[in-house]
Amino acid sequence: MLLIEADGKALFAEHGIPIPAGVVVTDGVPSLPGDGPWMVKAQVPVGGRGKAGGVVLCHSRTEVEAAVAGMLGSRLKGHAVDACLVEQAAIGQERYLAIMVDAASYGLRVIYSAQGGVEIEHSASAQGRLCSPHPGAVAEALAELIADEPADWRDQVAAIGKALASLLIQQELALVEINPLFVSASGCVAGDAKVVVDLNAVDRQPRIASLIAARPAVYADACRKIAEGFDYVELDPDGEIGLVTTGAGLSMMLIDELTARGAKPLNFCDIRTGQMRGSPARLIRVLEWITARSSLKAVLVNIFAGITDLGEFAGLLAAAIEASPRLHVPVVARLVGRNAAEARRILGEAQPGMLVTEDLQEALARIDAIVGAAP
Amino acid sequence: MIGSLSRTTPVIVQGITGRMGRSHAVLMRAYGTNIVGGTSTRTDMKEAAGVPVFSSCADAVMETGAVASVAMAPPEETRAAVQEALAAGIKLIVTVAEGVPLHDAIKIGRAVRRAGAVWVGASTPGLAIPGECKLGFLPDVCLHPGPIGIMSKSGTLSYEVGYRLVREGLGQSIWVGVGGDPVKGVRFADLLPVFFDDPRTKGIVLVGEVGGAEEEECAKAYARIGAKKPLFALIAGREAKEGVSMGHAGALVHGESGTLASKTQRLTEAGATVFGSIEALIDRCARDYRFDKK
Repeated sequence: MLLIEADGKALFAEHGIPIPAGVVVTDGVPSLPGDGPWMVKAQVPVGGRGKAGGVVLCHSRTEVEAAVAGMLGSRLKGHAVDACLVEQAAIGQERYLAIMVDAASYGLRVIYSAQGGVEIEHSASAQGRLCSPHPGAVAEALAELIADEPADWRDQVAAIGKALASLLIQQELALVEINPLFVSASGCVAGDAKVVVDLNAVDRQPRIASLIAARPAVYADACRKIAEGFDYVELDPDGEIGLVTTGAGLSMMLIDELTARGAKPLNFCDIRTGQMRGSPARLIRVLEWITARSSLKAVLVNIFAGITDLGEFAGLLAAAIEASPRLHVPVVARLVGRNAAEARRILGEAQPGMLVTEDLQEALARIDAIVGAAP
Repeated sequence: MIGSLSRTTPVIVQGITGRMGRSHAVLMRAYGTNIVGGTSTRTDMKEAAGVPVFSSCADAVMETGAVASVAMAPPEETRAAVQEALAAGIKLIVTVAEGVPLHDAIKIGRAVRRAGAVWVGASTPGLAIPGECKLGFLPDVCLHPGPIGIMSKSGTLSYEVGYRLVREGLGQSIWVGVGGDPVKGVRFADLLPVFFDDPRTKGIVLVGEVGGAEEEECAKAYARIGAKKPLFALIAGREAKEGVSMGHAGALVHGESGTLASKTQRLTEAGATVFGSIEALIDRCARDYRFDKK
């Protein structure tokens, strides 16, 4: 999961990587950090902010205030802008430096480019080296990549690379990227910070856990996953189809297929029936989130039970529907696997009129009919 | 190693006295897998799921001759389980845990590579040679011997594919869940030679997801080795939001890399066929392998 720039830079500072003087603002602009010019940057966890208008260079307090006012409360690439980073604009030539986990080699990839500030995919001068996951190996790889850079600041970049490698390894990160990295004889400074954390390691990474917990609105999906132990991602607050599904891949595919049929899925969900342990609480929670949206037209339950007893699941689903007073739309259940016939019987008694089928295409056709989408 | 698994291959279950370990050991045995024992830290249990329980992999391997292991360990203990299995000389390890930390996976991968072993997982329902054995918990209702090799990042989406193939009268030769994590054991590209060399396999179904570069790697390998058998792909996540991971840690799109468009283009260029829906994939398999139906 990508951290917002301000959080990435907080980690940089803690690991001795120079960052520009800056301040995070959530309403009015307090005293500005140092002399201008300043950069005003929307703090949303997504790349490509510059192109989308989320990064503005300002030469006066008036310009800073206008930029902040324009960004706060707006949406940028699908994310609400709740905070802006106002910082002193750095000076120097721009470079690119990144270290990331390389899945295929069980190592790290170090990438350096003499062209910073642009998308690395479009940078002809980007060079990469694979190395083992140790700070010393990263330092060696980087030394090769920057061998032709001027001696008056090369050592500073090497030091930043070493600090970045320690940060990535100690905090168990997936990626750390500085783009642009401003370089000059008077000092090198990270103009941006892209840090991708591993949510599977937060239990043993208290610093990362605290960054996520401090911004429940920005990291809503991650907070929910940590608190609830399963995945629920709201895709479209105006969505029409609430999904109560199990399995990440099948849930994603259902979203793709529903969208292709002209329906609007509200959410992604991997509810993990195996963890319910006889309680409808998790189903009730999900139905609560889904029914909070007034655009909802139907709920699609899709469970492919390899292990789960569908008879037991059907009982929990019936109880959860019963306990969801805000649920006023049809529920369509596609249940396949162990004890499917028993599940049909239980739901048939508890919820007469509800479609319960083993056939996914039949369930999707019913959804089409409910939302009036063209198949 | 994967292609030669059979009902005689001796397999142990690490963590066999736990709730998951015991129930899956029973189910694997019922399917036909030659489960010869298990390991546990509990010293009071000498037997579970009808097989002997050992205090370590080393003892289990010495007593039973096991060559493969299914590690039913929680995510934070998976690394230790793999290290123990490797030290005991196990050659194939399936780890099912969801949520193994990324940097643990790197260490596991390096250790497995050093030992010359094969790792399947993490975050996988395992693998199966239908009609012979299964290592993990692929649902029996989806399994039937047949001409199609399946490799999948997603458990449930592959269940759906396998189930519908079975309903069409088709089945699978070898089925490997590579798992949804970015850093993992065997990858799609590693499995192409396994399917190419397997006489039972006539066609290959790749069930992928957005994020990472495995589908692209596989496309490259498919073009390089030569398209010896047809490759059909289904890739979930067309509607995934950039920067938002949907369930699987590996299913994360950043910028242009890892997108459906990139994967579709590379696979298509390499000679594979990419399908937009489950039904389209099943229809094609049903048509191409109609003479292999049972």
